[in-house]
Amino acid sequence: MRFYRKYIKKYGVLASITIIFLMVEALCDLFMPTIMSRIIDIGVAQRDMDYVLKTGGLMLLITAVGAVAASMRNVFASYVSQNFGSQLRFDLFAKVQSLSFDSLNKFDRASLVTRLTNDVNQIQMFANGMMRIFVKAPLVCIGGLFMATQLNPDLAVVLAVVVPIVGLLIFLNLKIGFPLFLKVQQALDRVNGAMREYLAGVRVVKAFNRFDFEVGKFTRANEELQTKSLSATRVMSVFSPAIMLVVNLGIVAVLWLGGLGVEQGNIQVGHIIAFINYMTQILFSLMMISMVFNMFVRARASAGRIAEVFAEENRMSWKEDAALGQEPGEEKGRIDFDEVSFSYEGEDGQPVLKRISFSCLPGETVGIIGSTGSGKSSLVNLIPRFYDVTAGTVRVNGRDVREVDPARLREKIAIVPQKTTLFTGTVLENIRWGKEDATEAEVEAAARMAQAHEFIAATPEGYQTRVGQGGVNFSGGQKQRISIARALVKKPEILILDDSTSAVDVATESKIKEALQTYAKGLTCILIAQRITSVMDADKIIVLDDGEVAGIGTHETLLATCRVYQEIFTSQIGKEVG
Amino acid sequence: MSKQQKELPVFAPGPGRGFRHGGARGPVSKPKNFSATVKRLWQAFGREKRWLPLVFAIVCADGLLMLSAPYLIGKAIDAMTGIEQSFSFLSIIILALLGSYIADGALTFLQGWLIAGITQRIVTNMRQALFEKLQKLPIAFFDSRTHGELMSRLTNDIDNVSNSISQSTTQLMSGVIAIAGSLVMMLVLSPILTLACLITVPLVFLLTRTIAKRTSVLFKHQQSELGKLNGHIEETISGIQVVKAFNHEEKAIADFAAINDRLCKVGMKAQIWSGFLMPIMNVINNLGFAVVAIVGGILAVKGMITVGVIASFLSYSRQFVRPLNDLANIFNVLQSGVAGAERVFEVLDEREETLDAPDAAVLAQPKGHVVFDRVSFGYRPDQPILQNVSFEAQAGSMTALVGPTGAGKTTIVNLLTRFYDVTEGTIYLDGKDIREYTRDSLRRSFGFVLQDTYLFSGTIKENIMYGKPDATDAEVEAAAKMAHADVFINRLPKGYDTQLTENGGNLSQGQRQLLAIARVILARPALLILDEATSSIDTRTELIIQDALAKVMEGRTSFVIAHRLGTIRDADTIMVVDRGEIVEKGSHDDLLAQKGMYYQLFYNQFKNLYAASS
Repeated sequence: MRFYRKYIKKYGVLASITIIFLMVEALCDLFMPTIMSRIIDIGVAQRDMDYVLKTGGLMLLITAVGAVAASMRNVFASYVSQNFGSQLRFDLFAKVQSLSFDSLNKFDRASLVTRLTNDVNQIQMFANGMMRIFVKAPLVCIGGLFMATQLNPDLAVVLAVVVPIVGLLIFLNLKIGFPLFLKVQQALDRVNGAMREYLAGVRVVKAFNRFDFEVGKFTRANEELQTKSLSATRVMSVFSPAIMLVVNLGIVAVLWLGGLGVEQGNIQVGHIIAFINYMTQILFSLMMISMVFNMFVRARASAGRIAEVFAEENRMSWKEDAALGQEPGEEKGRIDFDEVSFSYEGEDGQPVLKRISFSCLPGETVGIIGSTGSGKSSLVNLIPRFYDVTAGTVRVNGRDVREVDPARLREKIAIVPQKTTLFTGTVLENIRWGKEDATEAEVEAAARMAQAHEFIAATPEGYQTRVGQGGVNFSGGQKQRISIARALVKKPEILILDDSTSAVDVATESKIKEALQTYAKGLTCILIAQRITSVMDADKIIVLDDGEVAGIGTHETLLATCRVYQEIFTSQIGKEVG
Repeated sequence: MSKQQKELPVFAPGPGRGFRHGGARGPVSKPKNFSATVKRLWQAFGREKRWLPLVFAIVCADGLLMLSAPYLIGKAIDAMTGIEQSFSFLSIIILALLGSYIADGALTFLQGWLIAGITQRIVTNMRQALFEKLQKLPIAFFDSRTHGELMSRLTNDIDNVSNSISQSTTQLMSGVIAIAGSLVMMLVLSPILTLACLITVPLVFLLTRTIAKRTSVLFKHQQSELGKLNGHIEETISGIQVVKAFNHEEKAIADFAAINDRLCKVGMKAQIWSGFLMPIMNVINNLGFAVVAIVGGILAVKGMITVGVIASFLSYSRQFVRPLNDLANIFNVLQSGVAGAERVFEVLDEREETLDAPDAAVLAQPKGHVVFDRVSFGYRPDQPILQNVSFEAQAGSMTALVGPTGAGKTTIVNLLTRFYDVTEGTIYLDGKDIREYTRDSLRRSFGFVLQDTYLFSGTIKENIMYGKPDATDAEVEAAAKMAHADVFINRLPKGYDTQLTENGGNLSQGQRQLLAIARVILARPALLILDEATSSIDTRTELIIQDALAKVMEGRTSFVIAHRLGTIRDADTIMVVDRGEIVEKGSHDDLLAQKGMYYQLFYNQFKNLYAASS
């Protein structure tokens, strides 16, 4: 959890200033009851009007000082906590962007989002709270004890009894309450789970008419939630009055002891009033401290999750001067796999790819086919260095990709991933992702090739139509075509289509392929597909089976020689032909 | 003095409960129709209403007790200072004080206990009503809303209702009693000192107003920037492969920095403004304290009041000002509670699936003869999806629907099962309009295998039994065997009792599909709908599934939607759907001979395959 040092260095001074203001504020609060007791015990008792006014003026002055300190503290605390939070969030985001997939895959994507949003907020709130009350509470608590004892050591006996009891009650409250609230949370999760499941499966529920079953399931979860919430809130309804009662009994005791003291003439009335005031201040701060503890536990958990991300390092290395396309003998768009093995867990892990060798010559179209889990996507992920091989070598344009800066490498390669991802913005902006300075003509040309121009132009706003959050919902196939256009506008040397026409109907798919063939002279194209028809006119087809190459060749050769390919073919053509 | 501790949020260590800084209030959603919703909420109290007089009595009694405490303290001080000097008098007062504190403790406890029960029961009922309502809503309702939106009704909105019932109502009551009572007590004790004390009240109002006005705008602004930032994070993290593939890391970071900076600036402003509230209130408190001390001191010196009155006043002024400060907050909680209730009621008011006709027949033993007679349909009136669709499917026949995406294939089966009702025309099943059957019996006669199978958390057995809850183990296993699912089930350590996670996440797509088929086999429907049942499955697994499906389809009227034309060549009738109309109809060979759209589709997909295999 070393990451926070940087921030202490950066904001430490300002935070310290804030805390100094906070101390001034606390001191001002602490002086008030004592000064007031003087008004009563000296001013009123001796009927000294002058003293009353003078001391009253002092009170007002201290109030003013406290106000100024509090205002300064507020401005400083807000500045520090907001800037600190922003900085932390920015650093974390930049870190995430810099990580390789090796590291990224250690985290669930949703959990990364939570770390960037929720966890950073928790820490920011803690930092803010610390500069507002968390430091003030112990200060007031100790200061209050000190002032009260100094005011009257005899009455302090009451404090010696009341404060530990209240402390114990608060401790018990947390100790008993926390697990109860955890259980409430779990019960709540179950209720939400039942609801989520129903929403996702509503067609099946309706189809089988199982409403009673669903309602029964929900009712059980709902009733459990009620029981758990009731027991949790009821425990709280015991502790809260109990703590108050203890303090109030303390006040009665102070009055009692004070009354005896006044009768014997060794306690002044003003002291009793002041003492009662200190008691409330101390109690208030004790409760704050328990809250600090609560926040601390939560913030610590968040800090731990953030630290996990910061601890990841991008371990990919490259030679600084190694760029593609500079050496004279280089073949543009050539890919070689040489005895490549790969595992997501490193050398000892379950291999996803085993000793794969093949070459794509410049301008070739290579199809990759195989069942789900056979390693198709893993294989193409090695080309732009999303991952590094566990053994063997991947070469692009004749160079080992491990020598090349991934950013430089990816300039030459365009990928259309299996899961279509478009970003908030217009269609134009989305396609320009591929090439930021693309002219509108270039964008349109790419869209035409991807068979996307027609439906984009048919929308009222054309290329200015907004996609994503709050935008038009294009169908799955349309989104795929926009994402193909995004890759094409980049004019890459290597184009990788990872099953990216699955939602496009057959007629449109073949039009896209025709367009690619005319345009793509010299473009190396790797095509992952489920449908045999999508890859059958490729220059060569690689058949993957369980991470191994089951066959490489043209459609005709594979059909004659490769058993796996024959099986796939049979399943797709229908029975009688195979 | 004890009132102020009651409102501390310290007793809620539960997860998910945020800590509120003094005055740091987020934007409040406002209900559209406050009074009408409050009336309905009142009805929602139902039987719990009988507890309310008791709660009200307790709150009142407790409020009065709390008013007596400062008075008694003042009297005690007076007893000490010798105006009514007598130790026995002091003892009586102290005993009275002791009694009132103990009674207060007991009443507060009772009140908390009762309110907890009332709130929980009301909220549980609301959740139940909401969920049961969802059972009665038509599919169109679910299709037009995101799951997140509906989930938030169940969680956030109901949470708000619960908070506002449990906290705001009693706080409002006790607050009003404290303000009014303190004011009366202060006036009785010393009108002049009261006047001095009230100087701070307009200040409180003025300041909280100005600040609240400013902060509410700023918080709204902050919330919208935060939304944008979260959206950006969500997008770039879930799409990180694309970000990296296109070397867009720098741009993503730059965009992030821009939004982050804006958020930081507005967040700082919001925090500074709202943060002023607490110190200012503190200052006003101290100011009131000082004013009471000074004016009280002067009055006491002049002998117009006793010292005990000053002591009482110190407490009363606090009891008076604090609820004033809290009222705004209470009102916000109340308002968002009512707004939450309103959103829940909105769902409860949604139009339910039309009831079955009173004379609706039960479809007991369907044969499966289906006729579409000039059927038209649109999800929205201005956008017709199907136009004038007519066809007939004989009992036990297989009908295939092909055509481009969005042509209306799925809509046809949605109408057949009455997920939606036709806009025009009639659908007949076994010679009778399907609207004349009970919906229950109609749907029971269909079996579905869809592209994305839905499995429920529960065991494999429970999932297969979903369509026939009274099936025996032997029946379940027979169905699994027929669906070729037994092989993988038997390989699992717990076999049929294997627990599935939500939506069967621990099974592969193909395995889930086999379970769905087993489920259909067990339910023995007369009609079968296969909507892209194998499109997301790799082709080798598909072979197994095809075989299983062929068995299920035997003797049943089936409707098959498929992209892969190889799978539907044996269909009795193939219908080509395009732009909401049936453009071609006939057997595979007929349609090929017609050389129309089907021929085109088929040729595209198979030309080379045929060339190669011949």
